Amino acid sequence: MSEARSWGRQRALCHWATPFAWLVLLLALTLGMEALEGGFRLLEPDSREIIYTRADFLVLLGRHLLMVGTAGILAIGLGVGAAIAVTRPGGRDFLPLVSQLASMGQTFPPVAVLALAVPVLGFGTVPVIVALLLYGLLPIVRNTLVGIEGIDAGVREAARGMGMTGGQILRQVELPLAAPVILAGIRTSVTINIATAAIGATVGASNLGDPIISGIVNGNTAYVVQGAVLIGLLALTVDSLFAKLMPTRG
Amino acid sequence: MIELIRVSKRFGAETAVDDISLRVEKGELCVLVGTSGCGKSTTLRMINRLIEHSDGEIHLDGQPVRTFREETLRRRIGYAIQSTGLFPHWTVARNIGLVPRLLEWPVTRIQARVEELMNLLGLPQEEFADKYPSQLSGGQAQRVGVARALAADPEILLMDEPFGALDPITRETLQEELRALQARLHKTIVFVTHDMDEALRLADRLVVMHQGRIVQQGRPIDLLRAPADAFVESLLGGEDRGLKEAALLPVSERMRPLRASQGHAQERIAQHASLREALSVMLWRHAERLIVIDEDDRPVGELSLRRLVRARDDE
Ligand SMILES: Nc1ncnc2c1ncn2[C@@H]1O[C@H](COP(=O)(O)OP(=O)(O)OP(=O)(O)O)[C@@H](O)[C@H]1O
Ligand SMILES: [Mg+2]
Repeated sequence: MSEARSWGRQRALCHWATPFAWLVLLLALTLGMEALEGGFRLLEPDSREIIYTRADFLVLLGRHLLMVGTAGILAIGLGVGAAIAVTRPGGRDFLPLVSQLASMGQTFPPVAVLALAVPVLGFGTVPVIVALLLYGLLPIVRNTLVGIEGIDAGVREAARGMGMTGGQILRQVELPLAAPVILAGIRTSVTINIATAAIGATVGASNLGDPIISGIVNGNTAYVVQGAVLIGLLALTVDSLFAKLMPTRG
Repeated sequence: MIELIRVSKRFGAETAVDDISLRVEKGELCVLVGTSGCGKSTTLRMINRLIEHSDGEIHLDGQPVRTFREETLRRRIGYAIQSTGLFPHWTVARNIGLVPRLLEWPVTRIQARVEELMNLLGLPQEEFADKYPSQLSGGQAQRVGVARALAADPEILLMDEPFGALDPITRETLQEELRALQARLHKTIVFVTHDMDEALRLADRLVVMHQGRIVQQGRPIDLLRAPADAFVESLLGGEDRGLKEAALLPVSERMRPLRASQGHAQERIAQHASLREALSVMLWRHAERLIVIDEDDRPVGELSLRRLVRARDDE
């Protein structure tokens, strides 16, 4: 009994081991980048400053997460909502339009979105969030559409034939069956945006992109590497978390 | 009781169902047959309003189907389809309990009903209740589909090729079960199939459709004996009709009392077996005379080849 429980706990621990390992590494570097000063000196033997100190890495990480998170939540709400709306009988007419808009969104470079957003929304965090939101919308909309449209026609017919209402079919059949595909879309969207958010530093939204931009401007490779490594670790942590959230039932 | 009065369905310019009238009495099993695309499924789906009819009227127990709320109507009508449409993310038990749950039955009543149906359809509770549809064989999935259609004990059952895509033996077993079930439950059933033997075996009323119209309807034996036209004749099996008719008639129909002097016949046949089976036994055993026995293996009569073939024996 207690053996079984401890075995179960061990399995749970194993299950979360990968994201946990990435998270530990991310936090360790965020809090203790100075420890690697010796290593970075090899990259920049001539610079006076080796470790980026203009802002605390932890603060930058928090702001980075905040931007990606806000954009992500908005993109999920909007993307899933739009895809659901255009797969209802009343919204079918807009299905081609929405799926086209969504694919155009991805071909639009995020830098261009930023360039267009700044004159309207000003400098700072808001235009970055808008750009990330628009950019992250496509994979979510597309995957939600694919997930819902991909449901077996027989299942749909049976659901209607048994007398389920539209809302019941959506909540009890369509969303649960489409969930793995939708989740995969959210994973792509968020992971891409973690990297994309870095360019927000160019319009004055400070995040983990700061050291990279500042490194480029000042010709300090060590700064660039510090920012890039932290962003990479954050992306890996979040991505492996999503990997564990994916249902595995065959 | 289901009544279709001069019902038509048009999809754009195409007429899928053309001015059909049909009355299915309570307790009757009505089978729709016809070539692919002749409008069988469309007819079925107009009854539970998955498709709205363009013209005419459809009544359930005298009440037009359009006066019901769609969902209310469908929860009152069992529906089983060839692809089963079982929800892949739900267990067998949950799938079967779908309509009772929609009707907000108390949980204990739903459980009892699901258990009852699983027994009725030969799906042992311990083995199947917690399985997912992907873990079932084709025949098991079809059984679950039928159980789900029966769950809320509907008066009316619509079945669209429910035993399609099964091997002949499983199919025949399910047909037997449906007949036994129908003998107990007296549902009003509309059943679509491509399998003429299935149609003849199950139907109280056989309806032949062609290009959206009903070309003939009636008892299977009457259609076999007097097909309205060449289409019905060929659909019912052409040259094979003799065997199909024999399959519908029991041995007891043609046998005559056992005469003591005829005791030399060795081969036996049950009195409820079909004449087709009797003929097969004769062919196989090279026997022109069979002893007919009852359920307790007692000889009750005899059947000669001449009598089987000619209906009247002039010996
Ligand atoms: N939703 C629809 N939209 C347009 N046409 C349809 C629709 N459903 C059916 N049809 C057409 O109506 C006609 C009858 O179709 P139906 O499905 O009733 O045939 P069926 O007799 O069930 O055929 P099968 O034996 O192949 O299942 C066909 O020509 C089909 O193309
Ligand atoms: Mg059909």
